[in-house]
Amino acid sequence: MVSQKKFCGAILVYNGDGAALVEIKPILRMAGVSKRYGGVRALEKADLEVRPGRIHAILGENGAGKSTLIKIMAGVVAPDHGKMLLDDTEVSFSSPAAANKAGIVCIFQELSLIPDLSVADNIVISDPPTRLGLIDRKQQRKIAEQALARAGAEDIHPLSLVKDLPLSRRQMVEIAKALARKPRILILDEATSALTVADVTKIFGVLKRLRNEGLALLYISHRMHEIAELADECTVFRNGHKVETYKAGNKTDTQVVELMIGREYKNVFPPKAERKTLENAPVLQTKGLTWTDRLKDISLTARAGEIVGLGGLDGQGQRELLLALFGVLRRCSGDILINGKKVIINSPVAAKADRIGMALVPEDRKTEGLMLPMTVRDNLSFAALRRITNSGIVNRAKEQKLIDEMIALLAIKTASADIPVGSLSGGNQQKVVIAKWLMNQPRIILLNDPTRGIDVGTKQELYVLLRKLAYDGAAILFYSTDYDELIGCCDRVLVLYDGKIHRELKGAEITEHTLIASALNVETDRVSHP
Amino acid sequence: MNAITARLSSFRRHLDPAVITAFACILLLLFLGSLYSRNFLSPEYLLQQLKVASFLGIIATGMMLVILLGQIDLSLPWVVTVGAMMSSAAAGFGHTGAMLAIPFGIFCGVLIGLVNGFGVAYLRIPSMIITLATNAVAQGLMVVYTGGFSPQDSASPTMRYLATGFIIPSIPNSVLCWIIVGAAAVFLMNRTGFGRSIYGIGNRERAAYLSGINTRRIVLTVFGISGGLAAFGGVLLAGYASKAAQSMGDAYLLPAIAAVVLGGTSILGGRGSYLGTVAGVLLITLLQSILSVMQMPEFGRQIIYGLVIIMMLLLYGRESLSR
Repeated sequence: MVSQKKFCGAILVYNGDGAALVEIKPILRMAGVSKRYGGVRALEKADLEVRPGRIHAILGENGAGKSTLIKIMAGVVAPDHGKMLLDDTEVSFSSPAAANKAGIVCIFQELSLIPDLSVADNIVISDPPTRLGLIDRKQQRKIAEQALARAGAEDIHPLSLVKDLPLSRRQMVEIAKALARKPRILILDEATSALTVADVTKIFGVLKRLRNEGLALLYISHRMHEIAELADECTVFRNGHKVETYKAGNKTDTQVVELMIGREYKNVFPPKAERKTLENAPVLQTKGLTWTDRLKDISLTARAGEIVGLGGLDGQGQRELLLALFGVLRRCSGDILINGKKVIINSPVAAKADRIGMALVPEDRKTEGLMLPMTVRDNLSFAALRRITNSGIVNRAKEQKLIDEMIALLAIKTASADIPVGSLSGGNQQKVVIAKWLMNQPRIILLNDPTRGIDVGTKQELYVLLRKLAYDGAAILFYSTDYDELIGCCDRVLVLYDGKIHRELKGAEITEHTLIASALNVETDRVSHP
Repeated sequence: MNAITARLSSFRRHLDPAVITAFACILLLLFLGSLYSRNFLSPEYLLQQLKVASFLGIIATGMMLVILLGQIDLSLPWVVTVGAMMSSAAAGFGHTGAMLAIPFGIFCGVLIGLVNGFGVAYLRIPSMIITLATNAVAQGLMVVYTGGFSPQDSASPTMRYLATGFIIPSIPNSVLCWIIVGAAAVFLMNRTGFGRSIYGIGNRERAAYLSGINTRRIVLTVFGISGGLAAFGGVLLAGYASKAAQSMGDAYLLPAIAAVVLGGTSILGGRGSYLGTVAGVLLITLLQSILSVMQMPEFGRQIIYGLVIIMMLLLYGRESLSR
């Protein structure tokens, strides 16, 4: 016995037991949408229904078609086939502005803020309030304040410059900017990947409130526990196809991951180093490393065969520490010792020289790690030019051999070494960044949040690779914003707080609880350790 | 077999639509010219054009390297003049002077280039500003130099021979010079770590720096090369005209930049092939020649010349938008 009643445009469905199973009418429906890029099928006959008052999570590996789907909805690209129905009328958006007008606002993975403008300027940038043709600054500030308040980021001053804000705060501004456009459907594409735990919790509160106000939210994230906490329903994509839509909570994490990668999923993290490698002589040591007020008296050691994690809240000096070691920061004081000998590293050129053998996988692969329009070959060769040239002239045979080795070792999925690296998926791009440094056979590897925005399958491959590199004798410094990674990968974790090493955690001490507690600088004596 | 197909596919990949367009425009110009006068297709005329083009070609080679870095070298006009005047002046100092005339002229150009490079790479001055400033300084120095006393200003016999003589019958020496400079540039760009680094810096200087490439040294060197080639162009021009004159380089700044950009090199750096620059140089030279042969008054020539360049840039600009 199923009865239906029409109610405010929504159809309420009652099943036989009398329990109301609310079937809300979707705002947006996509039917049979396909998109190709050249020969690559990005999306194939995808269907999706977006309902108001729901948080709908989209899951899938990089390259599964999620980004394409979102781009179609947001008017960034046009689909080849299929249709999109907004309130039962077919629509097609010629530009993101058209989609915004229809109430679809997207927060993309890449930040879209202009660093030299103020927060308020950025929030109203597409449609500033005007008076007599000039921007009405009072009104603008009011709008910005409201939007920031709605995003739960009242602490950000609307007149501060975006470039002065740390990454996590900028992300909050991005959300406020989207809310200022009064969306009906809000799409968040990896919007929390740069956020700290505290911010994520805050954002979740905001998102849930928006849902209760009747907004439709599409949420894309690689962080499983976030989705479990937040989503009402989930859709999994794989290789451009929609695999399944299910109600949140109906599947275990393992089941979901298996849906995403299409195979069984186990042993995410490889086994850790044996105890005795932890007694090796240190390869890298610092003594009293200090830089302005961002790094304070950092003394650390890293041994061959060891993965040392850097933890803590975002922006506590972890990035600066890696850059200082790599010779990027000027006027650093303190000593750096390699194999017990004091060295001076004043540029990346010096850092990668044979006697030091350092490599840095930078924070942003798109602007710091790669030259996107250049080929995979060129990108792989950049850090190792000295190794593949004889008196300045490239030895093509040698280059080819090394490149083939790297593509095989990291299983980089690319049609050939001669296509632009920008055409690879995010995970494969990151593999290229790592491979380009492995070409140089580094002994010390510095990693700045290398798995940010990368799919589960690739992450797993990278963990295994890191462990193998450590096993082969490299010392690895690994900064991650993902606690699971620090717990699963690292032999030791140094937790930074306000530019200082606040705590060092070893072996079994590395738990989510101790990590978070020491990151927040609160006492952890409740969990006692000998 | 495999190597051949690989070569072919890499050749096809390098075949930029802009390069094809430029070559198509050259053919079109020749066709239009031949409608006007049959002489346009005669070997003498074409060889003469090639000779005129070689000066621009050598100068544009240096400009191309700088543009690939994502920079610009506006000191070119007076560096060309410095090359011409200094080499002519050196030629006035007896036998040794005549021997060292050409190297000395080029050396002066390299020196100015290195000042540009130092300003850009180490002092972080935008290249547009520093090269404009060194251009003014070079101009001032040349005016002082010619104003103080009357220096030797006629080219040495070697310079004249290099610009107008024939080592190989029917191929002017200046064209040979361009071929050598061009071959060296192609080798530098495609086969050396230095060339790769130029493209890398032009694409994303930050990523190149973090890859441990000595970006500052490369920028410095490229500006040095650009200055040297501009001065070498000046030396040949002096040989061609048998004497050096003030402001003889003024007519080369816009054509050099236009030739590089018409050839498909991105003005923002990081992308472009030498073949394109060759096409751009030939195109500009032919255009100038045809306009002058048609006895177009000077103002009309300038207008058409400018309009054609704007139109072609629009054509390419759209292409890169759709990419």
